[in-house]
Amino acid sequence: MIINRDTTAIVVDSTADLPEHLANDPNISMVPLTVYFGEEAYLDWVELKPEEFYQRLKATPSLPRTSQPSAGAFLERYKALRERFERIYSVHLSSKFSGTCASAEVAQSQVDGVRVVDSELATGGIALFVDRLLDRLDRGTPEEEFEAYIERFRREKIFYFLPTTLDYLYKGGRIGRASHLVGTMLNVKPVLAIEGGVIDVYRKVRGLSQALQVMRDGLVENTVPGKTTYVGYAHALNEPVLAQLRELVESIPDRDIQVRTVSIVGSVIGTYVGPGAVSLSFIQE
Amino acid sequence: MSRVLGALTVAQMRALWSAGYQALEGRKQEINDLNVYPVPDGDTGTNLALTVRSIVEGVARLPASSSHPEVCQSVSQAALMGARGNSGVILSQIVRGAMEVLSQTSAPSIEVLAAALRHATDTAYRAVRRPVEGTMLTVLRDMADAATAARGMTDLTAFLERVLAAGWESVARTPRLLKVLADAGVVDAGGFGLVVLLEGVANGRHAMETPISLRWVPQPEVETGVFEPTTEEESRFTYCTSFLLTGRDLDPRSLEERLSELGDSLLVVGNSDQVKVHVHTDCPGDVLNMATALGILTEIEIDNMKEQEAERTARLEAQARAGQAGRGEPAGPPGTETSAAQVVAVVAGEGNKALFRNLGVDFIVDGGQSMNPSAEELVRAISQAEAPAVVLLPNNSNVIMTAEQTVGLVEREVYVIPTRSLQAGLSAAVAFDRRRPGEVNAKEMEMAARGVMTAEITRAVRDSLVDGVQVRAGEFIGLVEEKVVVGSADLDHVLEVVVGRLLGQGREVLTALLGQGEEALQAREKLERLSESYPGVEFEMHDGGQPFYPVLLSAE
Repeated sequence: MIINRDTTAIVVDSTADLPEHLANDPNISMVPLTVYFGEEAYLDWVELKPEEFYQRLKATPSLPRTSQPSAGAFLERYKALRERFERIYSVHLSSKFSGTCASAEVAQSQVDGVRVVDSELATGGIALFVDRLLDRLDRGTPEEEFEAYIERFRREKIFYFLPTTLDYLYKGGRIGRASHLVGTMLNVKPVLAIEGGVIDVYRKVRGLSQALQVMRDGLVENTVPGKTTYVGYAHALNEPVLAQLRELVESIPDRDIQVRTVSIVGSVIGTYVGPGAVSLSFIQE
Repeated sequence: MSRVLGALTVAQMRALWSAGYQALEGRKQEINDLNVYPVPDGDTGTNLALTVRSIVEGVARLPASSSHPEVCQSVSQAALMGARGNSGVILSQIVRGAMEVLSQTSAPSIEVLAAALRHATDTAYRAVRRPVEGTMLTVLRDMADAATAARGMTDLTAFLERVLAAGWESVARTPRLLKVLADAGVVDAGGFGLVVLLEGVANGRHAMETPISLRWVPQPEVETGVFEPTTEEESRFTYCTSFLLTGRDLDPRSLEERLSELGDSLLVVGNSDQVKVHVHTDCPGDVLNMATALGILTEIEIDNMKEQEAERTARLEAQARAGQAGRGEPAGPPGTETSAAQVVAVVAGEGNKALFRNLGVDFIVDGGQSMNPSAEELVRAISQAEAPAVVLLPNNSNVIMTAEQTVGLVEREVYVIPTRSLQAGLSAAVAFDRRRPGEVNAKEMEMAARGVMTAEITRAVRDSLVDGVQVRAGEFIGLVEEKVVVGSADLDHVLEVVVGRLLGQGREVLTALLGQGEEALQAREKLERLSESYPGVEFEMHDGGQPFYPVLLSAE
């Protein structure tokens, strides 16, 4: 079977934080998670856009809660899409962060032709993943080759992010107390990575420029000249710092950098990383 | 072959070292004052005296029936464990070399003494990575040469006089071999101390003829001095109490005697101006009362050792439970993070200690400028770690060698990051991640320490022309990357110059660790004003609480 635009659809959840051109793509369909401020529920991206979310996040005394889509929501979407497409790749937030994959898997077991993929990533990382898959839909790719690329991406991609504070990750239960407290007195900036689907400290430095430099150096260390490096960015409404990061990354002399996606971190991931975070994902092909 | 000394008993060995110790103790201040840099730093006299004191106590603990090789072995070991500062570490190697030869015969001849000096020289030169001439190494070699030339002599007194004379001549020559000494107008402190020690030991042979002073009779029940029980739990007292006492005409020895009635594991180190006290006691209040009558107390620490022990046990049990439940996710709930590596750091000042702890440093050994810890103290801290690997941050150029000594002394992976300042140590600690193996941490931490530029401000302890800058005793001096760049009575001016040098290019964060005293307050105000001239740089100020240095600075 050939995976192309006629045969195949891609389903994501709202934590993919897709940039507009991907969100509007006819082969891509999004199922939202839900964000709760107290008793008020909002569908991520559908009912609550980042600008409004971060305003409320700063004002709210207690952290919002988030919940995965129901299996029923996925089932409905899969059934509708299967009327037009033979195959569905359903790409989701790391199963270590959320039960979204689990909901999708329940739905998958009730519909033929659906394959749930744990991206082991979040936000801009998933957006870059989807961009690379869509590129193969455009070209038309044999199924085995397509499946092999999914594995390769999961293995080789690099995802760094830099939160402005660890408070949100700690309050959201994504990091332990010890990691949270480390370096608070000296304003240490940890550059975090998602590896194997979990958050890990990549390097700790002091000062924003050093932190951005660490991300840039990470790209240099993990790529070689002569091949194309596909890059996805994300930012939690922090254009100035993203611009600094882009300047650093895109001026690396002997790397062929192709920027594919620039995401805005939405409500669900924003709840855990807090306003101002920036991220860099890349894969060399 | 003439046996010049007769057979050496344990008591005689003790008498010889005791005489050497007393000679050093008597001229300690003179040796301390021979610092190359006019900064209150690296007290060679104190370090040598404490190292030799460790030897005396090591021998004092031996049973009278110990064999001669056992005695020599224990002298080497005690020197190694008690070594403080670079001079102490080199001395411990000299002692080791000498003992290797002397252990061969219990009644050494002049030829054996000459061979011991020669082997001591070889051992010491080998131990130092880049031997520098004009230091205690040169002085030792010159004495060994004189001894070799005189090895045919039959009169011990004449032989020793010849060797010591060569030593003193060599000490006098050190400024010609080492420019920094000439610039500072001093002879080498380590070389000077070495000859003082050997002279003391040589004179000690007279004491051997008569019954030895009772001062060093073994008293294992009330052992006092630099050695503490190897594990704190062994103490029968509840509170570990330590403080720094600053005053006038202090007498460490009489203080030690009075404190010995209140507890054990006693450590009283210092001089007439400042004394560091560490004691295990059941009545810390009485200890502090006694000390406050003598001067001002700082860096007061009182820990309940029984509680610490209980906490440690609880922690170990919790870890064992977590281990049984399977490894938690790295992003798991609080308290489940296991350590692949832990850090031991040498730090002075309560505020600085808090900063290191906040960076995840679990073990802190008190010390730094002018209070260099012994290998023994470092080994004890390392032994408390539960992780398979330990990263050691000496944080002072005069502690690095001692730190490196520990690598062979404990059955644990030890990585020494050669941090030459507290500030460099902090930068290294920033990069520390307890979940990573020691080797990975060591690499990252060393890189981080290298990326930082450091500066210090202190008061000159004497007039000096150093690094081309004329400084006067009592004035402020500013050092950048360990070189004096400015000297002035005006602290504000010194800060301006130093900060200007530090923030040359591409620096983003300036960290200031403020010391004790009013000068630190003045420095804080000046730094706040200066920060306005550097809009792109973040000025971070912390109360470090270190003595002698109103400000320690780093830029990265």
